[in-house]
Amino acid sequence: MRTYERPVLLARAIASVQNQTFSDWELIIVNNGGDPAGVESVVSVARNTTGTSTITVLHLPERVGMEEASNQGLRATTSTYFAIHDDDDSWRPTFLETTVQAYASNPNAAGVLTGVTRVHETFKGGKVWPEKHENFPLDDARLTYERLIGGNTFPPIAALFRRTLLDSAGYFDSSLPVLGDWEFNLRAVRDGGFVFIPERLANYHTRTPDSDRASGNSITVGEDLHLRVKKELQERWDSEMESHGVSKGQYSRDVEAQVAAAEAKLQAKIAEAQRAQSQRSTVRRLVGAVRDPKRAVRAAVHLGRTLAKRR
Amino acid sequence: MSAAEILNAHPNATVLTVDFFDTMVTRTVAQPTHVFAVVEEGLVSQHGSRWKGVAVERVHAEHRARVVAAETNALRDITIEEIAQQLSEALTLTSAERDLFVRTEKATEIALAKAVPAAAAIIAEAQSRGLRVLIVSDNYMPSSHLVNMAHAAGYAWVTADDVLVSCEHGGFKYNGVLWAVALKKAGVAASQILHLGDDHEADHVQPSKLGIATHIDTRMRRSHREMHNTSPDVLALSRIEATQRDAMYDGEWDVAHALGDGLVGMVVAAQIADVMHVVKQREVAGIHFAARDGWLAHQVWDAMRDGGEPLPAASYTAFSRSVIWRASLTELTPTNVGRFIGDDEVLTVARLERRVGCSLSSLYRPDEAIDAQSARAVLLENDREVVAASQQLRQRLLGYFEEQGLLKPGHHLVVDLGWTGSTIADMADLIADATNGETTIEARLTGMYWDATPNRMRVSMHGYAMTEFESLDNNLRLLGVIKLLEALVTAPHGSVVDFADAAQDFQPIFVETQAELDAYAQLIGRVAQSAITSACALLQGTHPSGVKASDITGTALWAAIMQVGHTPRSEEVEALRIVRHVTSIDHEGEGTPLVASAPSSPKSFRQEQLPGLYDELIHGHWMQGSLRSWSNADDTRWITDEIGNIWPSTKLQWVPAPLA
Repeated sequence: MRTYERPVLLARAIASVQNQTFSDWELIIVNNGGDPAGVESVVSVARNTTGTSTITVLHLPERVGMEEASNQGLRATTSTYFAIHDDDDSWRPTFLETTVQAYASNPNAAGVLTGVTRVHETFKGGKVWPEKHENFPLDDARLTYERLIGGNTFPPIAALFRRTLLDSAGYFDSSLPVLGDWEFNLRAVRDGGFVFIPERLANYHTRTPDSDRASGNSITVGEDLHLRVKKELQERWDSEMESHGVSKGQYSRDVEAQVAAAEAKLQAKIAEAQRAQSQRSTVRRLVGAVRDPKRAVRAAVHLGRTLAKRR
Repeated sequence: MSAAEILNAHPNATVLTVDFFDTMVTRTVAQPTHVFAVVEEGLVSQHGSRWKGVAVERVHAEHRARVVAAETNALRDITIEEIAQQLSEALTLTSAERDLFVRTEKATEIALAKAVPAAAAIIAEAQSRGLRVLIVSDNYMPSSHLVNMAHAAGYAWVTADDVLVSCEHGGFKYNGVLWAVALKKAGVAASQILHLGDDHEADHVQPSKLGIATHIDTRMRRSHREMHNTSPDVLALSRIEATQRDAMYDGEWDVAHALGDGLVGMVVAAQIADVMHVVKQREVAGIHFAARDGWLAHQVWDAMRDGGEPLPAASYTAFSRSVIWRASLTELTPTNVGRFIGDDEVLTVARLERRVGCSLSSLYRPDEAIDAQSARAVLLENDREVVAASQQLRQRLLGYFEEQGLLKPGHHLVVDLGWTGSTIADMADLIADATNGETTIEARLTGMYWDATPNRMRVSMHGYAMTEFESLDNNLRLLGVIKLLEALVTAPHGSVVDFADAAQDFQPIFVETQAELDAYAQLIGRVAQSAITSACALLQGTHPSGVKASDITGTALWAAIMQVGHTPRSEEVEALRIVRHVTSIDHEGEGTPLVASAPSSPKSFRQEQLPGLYDELIHGHWMQGSLRSWSNADDTRWITDEIGNIWPSTKLQWVPAPLA
C-alpha cells in the first residue's frame, strides 16, 4: 500500500484490508516520504485489530516514484500473490477470497481482476463526502494485450497478481514517474494473461475538483505528465518489433487511435441519446412549469439549501 | 370460523371455487416476489454471477409485459413466456438462458409451495360433503404448473380440469372475465357457488356482482411488503417473516413479536456473531457492550454463556455522547459551547445547571425560559465552573471504566449500533490518555455513518452492515432509519448522564423519561423479549425459520434494516406511533414522536409549506414510516405523493446495499 500524507484515506484503506474475509494476508505500507508520525498514528490504531496477519511500515526518507515505492514494498514480502492497494482505494470484503480462489483453477494466470465501482467523492476539511457510484467499464475484452497497449484499462485496486510474475516479467519500472502500472500490466498480460471476475469487488475512489488538492488522484492532478510519459514510452517501444512486423510503439499508437475513435463514436451516441432525452424532459418541464411554475424553482432552491446546510 | 361453520353458512353451495396463491397455496418466503430471490440465489450459485440482479429484473419484466399486453388488449392476462421475453430483452439472454430461467422459476415455485391450513380444511370439508372444487386464479403460469404446485403442497386430487387460470381464458377475475368462464365451467347457478379468496376486488367485488357468495381470508398477506427491492439479500428476513406468518396464523398479528423476532433479533445476532468471529482471531482483554443499544446483545451473550457456550465474560458499559463530551472538555469556547445546547432549544438555567453538573451564576431566574443563544452566553460566563465540573465528571467516568475493567492494559472491543463512531473515538482518546496508551479500543459497529472516516483514524472501527461510502441523499434518508433502530434496539433504562462517586462504586446515573418508560412498557419491552429469544436461536441454529447466524451477512442485515426502515408495513408504523425520540443532551423533555403526525388540515396545506415539512421529517422523525402512514389515509396521501415527486429519494426504494 503506497501512501503519502493522506492519513484519513489511509485509515479507510487499511480497514478495507482488515475487513477481508480471507485472513492470511500481509500488509506492507510504503510511506513514500511523508511524515512518519502521521502514518504511525494511523497504523498504531489499525494494528490493534490485526490478528494473525501483520502490518509492516516502510518509511522512505524521501519521496520516490510510485513504481519504486511499489518495488520496495514487494521486496519486503515473499507472499504467493500480491496486490497494489493505493491508500485512497478500497475493496469489498470478499475481494481477496474471490481472487485467491480463482487462482486455484487458473494457476498460471498473471493476474486475477474483478469488476470495479468508481466512487466519486469530495474530500474537504478532513472529511470524505461521497458524491456518486458508477460502474467502471471493465470486461475480458479490455484485458487483452491488444487492448491494453492502447492505454491502461484498469486501476491497480482491481488486480491480484501472481508473485512469480516478478521473476519472469520483472518489477515495476522505477525510471517512470507515472504510468508504471500500465507498463507493468503490458508485461504481465504477456506472461499468463488476466482472468476477469465481473463481480464488482474493488472500489476505485476519485476526488472531485472541489476536493482539497492534497487528496487528489495522480491521474486527475497530473494529466499533462501522464500524456508526456505515455508518448515517451511509445517512442521507447519504437525499436521493439511486434510479430506482425509493426513496432510496439506504432502498434500502441494505432490501438490508442482505434480505441479513441470507438469511444468518440460511443460518446456521440450517448450525447445524441441525452439530447433526445433532454428535449423530452424540457417538454415535460415546460408543461409542468405552465401547470405549476413555482414548484420546480422551489425544489431546486430547497435542494441547494439542504446541500449547503449539510456541508 | 371453522371449515364446517363456513360451509354451514352456505347450505345451498354445490361448488366451491378457490383462489390459488395465498389462499390455497403459499410459499416458504414472506411474499410472492421473494420466490424470484430464491431463483436468483440458485442461478448464481449454479451458473455464476451472470445472474446477479435477475430477481428485481424479473419484477420489472412482469410489469413491462403487462404494459405491452395492455396496449393491444387491456382485458387479458400475460403468460410466463411474455415475461421471459421481456426479461430476455433486458438482460440479453440467449434462448437457452431464457429457458433455464423459466424452468428454474417453475421448479422453485414447486419446491417452495405449501398448503394454507384454513383453505385445506375448507376444501377437505367441502369434498366430504360432495361439493365440487374449482381453482380460479389470476396468474401468468399455465394450469399444468398450478396442478404441479398443488400436488407439491399436498392437494393430490387436483387435475388440469379443476383449474381456471386467467392467462388461458382471456381475462382476469378482477375485471370479471374469468368469473364468467368459471360460472359456465361450474354449470350451476351463481347462488350455488361459494368462493374462497384473499383479494377484495378479484375475490369479493367481482363474484358478488354475479351473485356468488364469498369468504375472504387475508392472513397469508400479512407478511407482504413492497416488491421492488427483491434480491437474495432479503431472504433471511423473508424466511423469518414467513415463519411468523404461519405461527401467528390462528391469532392476532403481534407486531412487537414480529419486529423482535425478525429485524431486531437479526441485528443482535449479527452483533454477537461479529464479536465471536473477532475473539477467535485475536486475544482481547475485554468485551464491552455499550449502553443502551448493546443491552440486548449483552443479555444474549450472557444467556449463551449460561447455556455452556465457551465465551469470555463481557461487560455492559454505560456511556453516552453527552458524558463523553463533558468529560473530555478542557476549555469552553464559543465554538464548542454549542455542543451543550441545540440551536432550537429553549430551557431554564436550572436545567442548564443539571446539564453541566454545576451551579451557574446568571441574571436570569432559575426557572426562567431562555433561548439557545442566551443559554450559551450563560455557560461562557461560567466557563471555569463548567470546566471544573467536567474534570470531576472525567474522574468519575474513569473510575467507572476502571470498575468495568475497561482500563485494564490490552485490547478491548466495544460493541455498539453505530453510527458515526465519534463517541467511541472520543472515549478511546480518554482511555488512551488515562492509561498512557496501554489500553486500546476497537469499535465493532453494526453500522457506520458517512463521516466515520476521520473517526476511524482515532479508533479501529469496523462496520458489520455498512460503511460510510454513500451519497448525500442516501445519508439524509438514513437519518430516519437510525432513529427507528435507536428506538427498537435499546435497554429498559434511560440514558446515562452522570456517575456516582467512589463511595458508590461510580455507578451510572440514568435519566428516565416518561415517554420512553411508556413505550417500553407498551411495546419495546416485548420487542426486546422476542429479540433475545430470536437472537439466541439464530446463533444456536435452532430458529424455526431455519435461518442461521451465518445467513445474516452484512448485506442480509442491511436488507432487513431497509425492509422495515424503508418499506414498513402499516401495522408496524401504527404500533410505533407511541414511541418518542428523546435527543436532548440531558435526556430531559418529552422528545419528538418517531412517526410524525400529518398536517392537521391537509386540505388547506400549501405547496409552499412542503420544504419545511420535508426538513422536519428528515431531521426530526422517522421519515419513511411517517410518509407511509400519511399515504394510507385518503386526505394526506397527496402530501406523500407530492413530497415523492419533489424529492424522489423519499419514495419506496431502499438505500442501495452498502459496501461493508
